[in-house]
Amino acid sequence: MKQSRSQRALGRLLPTLVLIASAIFFAFPLLAMARFAFQNLQVIDLGWNNLFEKWSISSVTASFSDDFFAEAFTLSLKLAVGTALFTLGLLIPTAVWVHLRLPKARVFVEFLTILPYVIPAIALVAGIVVVKPHARWFLNSDYSLIPFYVVLALPFTYRSIDTGLRAIDLKVLVEASRSLGSTWIATLFRVVIPNLRAAIISSTFLTVAVVLGEYTISDVLLKRTFPSFMAQYRQSDPRGGYALAILALLGTTLLFVAIGVLSKSRSTRPQQVSRSQENEILV
Amino acid sequence: MTSLSFTGIRKTFGTTVALESLDLALQPGELVSLLGPSGCGKTTALRIAAGFEIPDTGVVSLGESVITGTPAHRRNMGMVFQSYSLFPNLTVAQNVDFGLRNRKVEKAKRNSRVGEMLELVQLGELGKRYPHQLSGGQQQRVALARALAVQPEVLLLDEPLSALDAKVRSTLRDEIRRIQTELKTTTLFVTHDQDEALAISDRIGVMSNGRLEQLGTPEDVYLRPASPFVARFVGSINELPNSNGVGKILVRPEDVTISADENELTMRGTVTRVTFQGPVTIISVRVDVVDQLVNVHAASGSIQTQVGDRVSLAVAPGRGIVEAA
Repeated sequence: MKQSRSQRALGRLLPTLVLIASAIFFAFPLLAMARFAFQNLQVIDLGWNNLFEKWSISSVTASFSDDFFAEAFTLSLKLAVGTALFTLGLLIPTAVWVHLRLPKARVFVEFLTILPYVIPAIALVAGIVVVKPHARWFLNSDYSLIPFYVVLALPFTYRSIDTGLRAIDLKVLVEASRSLGSTWIATLFRVVIPNLRAAIISSTFLTVAVVLGEYTISDVLLKRTFPSFMAQYRQSDPRGGYALAILALLGTTLLFVAIGVLSKSRSTRPQQVSRSQENEILV
Repeated sequence: MTSLSFTGIRKTFGTTVALESLDLALQPGELVSLLGPSGCGKTTALRIAAGFEIPDTGVVSLGESVITGTPAHRRNMGMVFQSYSLFPNLTVAQNVDFGLRNRKVEKAKRNSRVGEMLELVQLGELGKRYPHQLSGGQQQRVALARALAVQPEVLLLDEPLSALDAKVRSTLRDEIRRIQTELKTTTLFVTHDQDEALAISDRIGVMSNGRLEQLGTPEDVYLRPASPFVARFVGSINELPNSNGVGKILVRPEDVTISADENELTMRGTVTRVTFQGPVTIISVRVDVVDQLVNVHAASGSIQTQVGDRVSLAVAPGRGIVEAA
């Protein structure tokens, strides 16, 4: 059945309209938040007529000069690095082993890694509260947050590494390396990890995003991380608090854009020489 | 040059028996092909030689040394895989250099060896390219150069040509044989392609259901098959009822004589198809009494016949093997 010209035009237009509507739905609250954080006007005065007036970054620069900002931000960065290293050190050998030796266990491992999605962070916190009196020696350290962040980031990081492993012919590459005299460790560092570069970068960025956004556990364990600092600062200076939140959101968005760019550059790599081309060139 | 031998090798995966008492010895410098259908155990045998599988029972020896439990990375064997196995993150030259670096060969020697190997496989100009910039045939040549660079005691080839086009496959097959003969490397070649095995091998081991059915020269395997399975698997075969009514006679199409004179030979029939294939014409004849189709390979031009003609056939004296019922 032939579609009329107006039906075809509507078919082309509809996705664009949905996209615009969705963009407005997400953009308006963010714009409102940005105006509150960065426009030096009373909230009651904010309107369409003064949309471009008195924008300033003074609220955010004021938060930077807070005594605890540098400490909290540095701690979060350290935790992000620690969590990323811990995650990679744990996940890469595990995922490689599962792919090579226990392919049937893949479904089980995937289920395990998805648990932090199913079980909310607050349930984890309840567990921590129970354990706390017996593990103060560990929980007193700021770095005790790392294992919890590793668990929280698992649904994202495992999938990233798993997808990377599925994209390469892992078994053959590992066996080729072994047959050429490499130990397991050498194979991991010289063959597997270099070929998982994009997956590792994605996994790292996702870990950083989780660490920079996690508040519940750090608050329960009384750690002054960047999200805890933001929450506290917001109570004394709401504008500055929301300005920091927008900056964190911007940073996370940039990380995801970087993941997208890296994935794209990987997928647009020159393709394998085709069969027909092959016959035309030297064997 | 080193010998490689399998003695009493048995390997099971769960309840499946992949290899049942395999005894096979490769002489130094020899190229032996393991030929058989999928699941016959040929790849398992090669993987046991490489150290990727451990046999349940039996012994693998390299020269005088028993290597049954030796890890893969300590076996000094080179291996070329069915799928392209070059490391995507390394250039062609770095791929060939990979095994030499593992063996801590000094840099000047490594560079010269990489150059030699790339010249050997006629890819001297492509050292700086990455694997994805090469054709499948070129990738397998690099894989061969990489495997040979470490001067392996045994070269293991796991269906290295099966992912390639027919034209490329034939050229590379000849290249492998040339290089193997030049370097005199003991080689175990696994394939399911009988033409490949017949063309390249010093000896062929035909396998079925985890057992070695026959080990012999290509001529032995083709002309004097040790079992009906070998006769059926290697080359094409006609199956005729035995004259005493018990069992069958298996005979190759080129071992059947055909005459345009219906009364000249012992079996009579009607031509159902004539297929011209260059030097050979395949004539399909439905034999009267047994109502069975027999293919005959006749030299093109040696007999003028067409569909519907009445002809007579006979099995050449001394040819064909009898399969008991």
